[in-house]
Amino acid sequence: MHDTVEYAHASGLLSSVWLLIAIPLASAAILLLLGKRADKWGHWLGVASVGVSFVLGLTYFFQLRGLDNRAVELSLFDYIEVGSLHVDFGLLFDPLSAVFVLLITGVGSLIHLYAVGYMEHDAGRRRFFGYFNLFVAAMLLLVLGNNFVMLYIGWEGVGLASYLLISFWVERPSAATAGKKAFLMNRVGDAGFAIAIFLMFAQLGTTQYDEVFNGIGAVASGTVLIMGLLLLLGATGKSGQFPLQAWLPDAMEGPTPVSALIHAATMVTAGVYLIARSNPIFTANETLQTVVVSVGALTLLIGCIIGCAKDDIKRVLAWSTVSQIGYMFLGVGLGGAAYALAIVHLLAHGFFKAGLFLGAGSVMHGMHDQTDIRRFGGLWRYMRITWATFGLAWLAIIGLPPLSGFFSKEPIIVAAYEREGWTAWLFGTAALIGAGVTAFYMTRLFVLTFHGPKRWTEDIDHPHESPPVMTVPLVLLAVGSVAAGGLMASSVPDWLVPALGDHSGEEVHAVMSHGLITALSIVVTLLGAGLAYALFRNGTALQEQPAGPVVTAARRNLYADAFNEAVFEKPGIFLTRALVFLDNRGIDGLVNGLAAAVGGGSSRLRRLQTGFVRSYAMSMLTGALLVVAAFLALQLGWLA
Amino acid sequence: MEDLSLPKIDYAAVAPMLILFGVACVGVLFEGVLPKAARRVTQLVLALLGLVAALSVIVWQSDTRVLTAGGAVAIDGPTLFLQGAIIVLGIMALLLIGDRAMEHGGAFVAQAAITVGSEADRKQAVKEQGATEVYPLTVFAIAGMLLFVAANDLLTMFVALEVFSLPLYLLCALARRRRLLSQEAALKYFLLGAYASAFFLFGVALVYGFAGGVEFGTIHDSVTESTQSTVLLYAGLAMIAIGLLFKAAAAPFHVWTPDVYQGAPTPITGLMAACTKVAAFGGLLRVLYVGFDGVAWDYTPILGVVAVLTMLIGAVLAVTQTDIKRLLAYSSIANAGYLLVGVLALSKDGLSSTMFYLVAYGFTVIAAFGVVTLVRDADGEATHLSRWAGLGRRSPLYAGIFTFILLAFAGIPLTSGFIAKFAVFGAALDSGEAWLVVFGVVTSMLLAFPYLRVVVMMWLSEPGESTPTVSIPGGLTAAALVIGVVATLVLGVAPAPLLDLTTSAADFVR
Amino acid sequence: MSTGEAVTFWILVWPALVGAIGMVLARNAIHSALWLVLTMLSIGVFYVLQSAPFIGMAQIIVYTGAIMMLFLFVLMLVGRDASDSLIETLRGQRVAAVLLGIGFAAMVGTGVYRAMDNVTPAGLEQANAQGNVEGIARLLFTKYVFAFEVTSALLITAAVGAMVLAHKERRKGEKRGQPETMRARFYPGNYPGPKPGPGVYATSDSVATPGRLPDGTLTDRSISKILPVRELTSSESAPKGTEK
Repeated sequence: MHDTVEYAHASGLLSSVWLLIAIPLASAAILLLLGKRADKWGHWLGVASVGVSFVLGLTYFFQLRGLDNRAVELSLFDYIEVGSLHVDFGLLFDPLSAVFVLLITGVGSLIHLYAVGYMEHDAGRRRFFGYFNLFVAAMLLLVLGNNFVMLYIGWEGVGLASYLLISFWVERPSAATAGKKAFLMNRVGDAGFAIAIFLMFAQLGTTQYDEVFNGIGAVASGTVLIMGLLLLLGATGKSGQFPLQAWLPDAMEGPTPVSALIHAATMVTAGVYLIARSNPIFTANETLQTVVVSVGALTLLIGCIIGCAKDDIKRVLAWSTVSQIGYMFLGVGLGGAAYALAIVHLLAHGFFKAGLFLGAGSVMHGMHDQTDIRRFGGLWRYMRITWATFGLAWLAIIGLPPLSGFFSKEPIIVAAYEREGWTAWLFGTAALIGAGVTAFYMTRLFVLTFHGPKRWTEDIDHPHESPPVMTVPLVLLAVGSVAAGGLMASSVPDWLVPALGDHSGEEVHAVMSHGLITALSIVVTLLGAGLAYALFRNGTALQEQPAGPVVTAARRNLYADAFNEAVFEKPGIFLTRALVFLDNRGIDGLVNGLAAAVGGGSSRLRRLQTGFVRSYAMSMLTGALLVVAAFLALQLGWLA
Repeated sequence: MEDLSLPKIDYAAVAPMLILFGVACVGVLFEGVLPKAARRVTQLVLALLGLVAALSVIVWQSDTRVLTAGGAVAIDGPTLFLQGAIIVLGIMALLLIGDRAMEHGGAFVAQAAITVGSEADRKQAVKEQGATEVYPLTVFAIAGMLLFVAANDLLTMFVALEVFSLPLYLLCALARRRRLLSQEAALKYFLLGAYASAFFLFGVALVYGFAGGVEFGTIHDSVTESTQSTVLLYAGLAMIAIGLLFKAAAAPFHVWTPDVYQGAPTPITGLMAACTKVAAFGGLLRVLYVGFDGVAWDYTPILGVVAVLTMLIGAVLAVTQTDIKRLLAYSSIANAGYLLVGVLALSKDGLSSTMFYLVAYGFTVIAAFGVVTLVRDADGEATHLSRWAGLGRRSPLYAGIFTFILLAFAGIPLTSGFIAKFAVFGAALDSGEAWLVVFGVVTSMLLAFPYLRVVVMMWLSEPGESTPTVSIPGGLTAAALVIGVVATLVLGVAPAPLLDLTTSAADFVR
Repeated sequence: MSTGEAVTFWILVWPALVGAIGMVLARNAIHSALWLVLTMLSIGVFYVLQSAPFIGMAQIIVYTGAIMMLFLFVLMLVGRDASDSLIETLRGQRVAAVLLGIGFAAMVGTGVYRAMDNVTPAGLEQANAQGNVEGIARLLFTKYVFAFEVTSALLITAAVGAMVLAHKERRKGEKRGQPETMRARFYPGNYPGPKPGPGVYATSDSVATPGRLPDGTLTDRSISKILPVRELTSSESAPKGTEK
């Protein structure tokens, strides 16, 4: 049974915690409303607003550390009040939201800074920063709300901002398609989340975190399962997890800073936040946890297998994001102490993945926006800073000690082996294999990009290093990638105790000894990396090679797109077509009617006109017949 | 033979309707006596004054709860709230109707009798001022709507239905541009409207056979007491519902909506989308909550299916639309579905949330059509969606306003659309109609797609040769836009006062 | 139902039905209107049979007498040159409409018929206690006074609507004066004389045979537009010799 959750009321400095959201929001409003007048200085305003939020976040963080009850609530006003529905417009600043605030604003300000350089030649830079700030504000609202409706508001907000940013280069048809795909797949998840919230209302009459968590024990176990599955559906949609993973790699069509901030460091981890935040719901039902673990394990394998087969630098990173978030889902699904481990991995991932994306952006910046890793090679000589920082982030993600990935990923593998029975072997081994494959494809990426022979396209003669405004964030992120893991692995779990519960006293037994697992994970990592180095040291073929079924499947995203098409898209198209067919008389009639009106063929129009009224009248009569028949059937007891 | 005595009429309570009917008659009179040049201003001022006066009476009478005029008119909480809503939305629509800044002579044709496409027609399109009969006709329509939501028996309700429909049929035919389309729309609306009225009337007759009366109180009592066959009751209720669902644009009685919304002059489309919807759902609420609440268990599944169908058809077909007015029409169909979900909650919460939804939606939709009137080229309004590409670059302010409106339709949080959907779905769930909520949530997710497609089109495309200009709105349209947008924002951020108002108003008298 | 009532009902039910169906099926608008008159007259008699003499008379005098006659006047004035096309362009529309219509009628008909089994009529004496007209007046001016008064709004709207849709304002100078009319009449290209009658200089007396102009050509202007043009045989169309 979970402990009672209680939040203190915010007082003193912490009662101004809303400023965190208000500052980037105000900046977004200024940037988007002022128009061209803000073109000259707009991007600096964008950077500054996030920077100020970061400083404020740090202040609040230290303030929070000094409190006894490290969870304060701030109710701004009554938002919705209809009958029994009551929703507060309220914020919650507790250890969990605090670390997210620091991640979002900290990594966010670095990426904002980087974007000043990256978007320098883009005419829409001011608009870009407007959307970017909007995203930060929405993301902060997402993690700072004190109830599920606030979370949902932020959730929709980041979805909207992400959609706008993916489609930012709308002239590229692929960007528009990607935006659409991201939007639709997210809507599937959002629908699940929204229904979960309504279910909460129906069952508990509230969406405030404390009231929901304290009341969840009284809810029937089947209902908890459904509620949790719906929340999970929302989380998989936002975080690009199985079965809704396909949109995330396509989302890389957006500008690289967007990929770094939204689709690597922050927004896609919202699903992990959601599950961690609602840990009392997930802990309350064991089946639910198993489902989350399975989703995580499956996705981490899918992600790293596909990652091996991709040749686009950003796509590889995107699939690696999918895979790493799979680890986080694995963590939150394992429950208990692993919640905190997942958050640690999330934070560490935020640093090294942002570093990798920005490094990739820097490479593309120097290589005329080339993204094909078969066309890179030997770049280490030309972009030393990028090479060094990318290299550190690479070592971090494959989990080599003592970099941060090791401290954050390895405990999750250990935790997976701590499950009971055969599932420990299943999930633990999946995580272990994932680590090896990750090492393989990330090394492949690194070696093909920076080492080996040059395989550049003809138009590039001398790649250049990026300007300081881009390299400084790279260096800072690299420092984070190196140091963050070790620092956080010990301190963050303690810090998160008020939000995620105290599990330090629990006795757990892994099916293997702890040391053996650690050794194994280092060995598979080295094996994967070594194999990749041996294979790709001398470059690779420039064309796609014929391949066996496994590689083909991986190149086709494990047929996820085909699956989606068959399962979601085809019925959707069919439904639309069927409805259009039913309605086409109206639409065709209109088109014809318009043509006739323009052409002045009034006699034809008149004929069409009566025609369509009679077909309208007929569909009304059909409806009337059905409605009356239904009522009469009711009267005869057929339906009652 | 005994003397007949007029039933007691609470004149203060029915004053809003009387004022508006009076104003409309005076308006018709002015058409005859005033010189042409003076008519437009006089009519507009007269109509606005009448509406404001009626609104003040409603505010003054806000505590009245009576059955009056021999039990034919019920002035109670929902009546007063909905009447107030109709008048406020009517004022906004009237502002759009009255504006002549965007187009010389306004959105209405000068002489509808002139043959379309003739020399005289071309001349009048550019030179002449629009017909001023539209003002009294609009006031007649609004007055009829006020009576419709107040009618406490089916006969009065039918008369009110015709009183507000007939002016709307006429107004639909009076567009200045694309007149054939406009006349076609009017004729379709008229024919199908008459068809639906016939169903309604047939239903009234059957219910009379069952209950021996047409007052909602009598019907309510007879549901438990009458010894007649319930076939009469159910067939009657079904047909009355068909008549009302037609006006509410619920599937499969929605067929007229896209054509009529597209063909009608845009300010009239706004009037229909906002005020007619309020009136139709006001009537539906009273019929279902006051008259037939005894058989609620029986009609809920059937009307639930209608609601689901409405949401699906509206949402799915909105995706394939290429004309902004048709897109908004399908969105209005889907919204009728969401409103039905609220109605079918059949609880006090259902009533109050439906009323909130009506007001929230009304403000937003009039503002939306207000923006549509602004985007024009040499041939009048440019309504094809492809023409809206790049509008954000050309006119960030109006594209921004329209974006906000679309986000409100999509139910994005911090707009009134979110609160309204939240409220109706919450109410339906409280009443155990979970399946409706599931469909509602799923379709509203789907419906967000066409909206956002327009948003992306406006902001992320470069304006091309064919991107039309955005006219500077006249003061009247600007006022309507400001009211609509501010209301959408305020109801999204601080909805509590209006929610309180709807909750306190949510009690019918029987 | 008394015997007399039943006999009258069973006699008149056929004209009522035939009239209704005829109205829908008739191609000619005037025939349609006349079929409708038949139905309305029969229904008027039904009302009287049902002890509602006022509404029965109103039906006959107002609907059949006034409205339908007005309708016929308008049809005659407009002429029925503009004949509607009766070709059905939508596939399956007619069949489906007929089936749906029959289905709906059958469903509601059976339902109401079953519901009306074993129902004893009540309240008729009470309603007509002080006379039928007085009874209606009582309802109109007490219970339904509001609806009754509001109906005037409907009438005003209808009148305004008719004006708006049909009235053309003529400015000064738009109306053609006598000199202009005459000038237009004798303007080159116009034919100033009276139209030739049908059958003039022709072999046939039929009004469907076009007349001949003095130069011997046939003229379509001599026959009414609503008549189908009769194909002439070669012997008919050949100029006729004056002597054998």
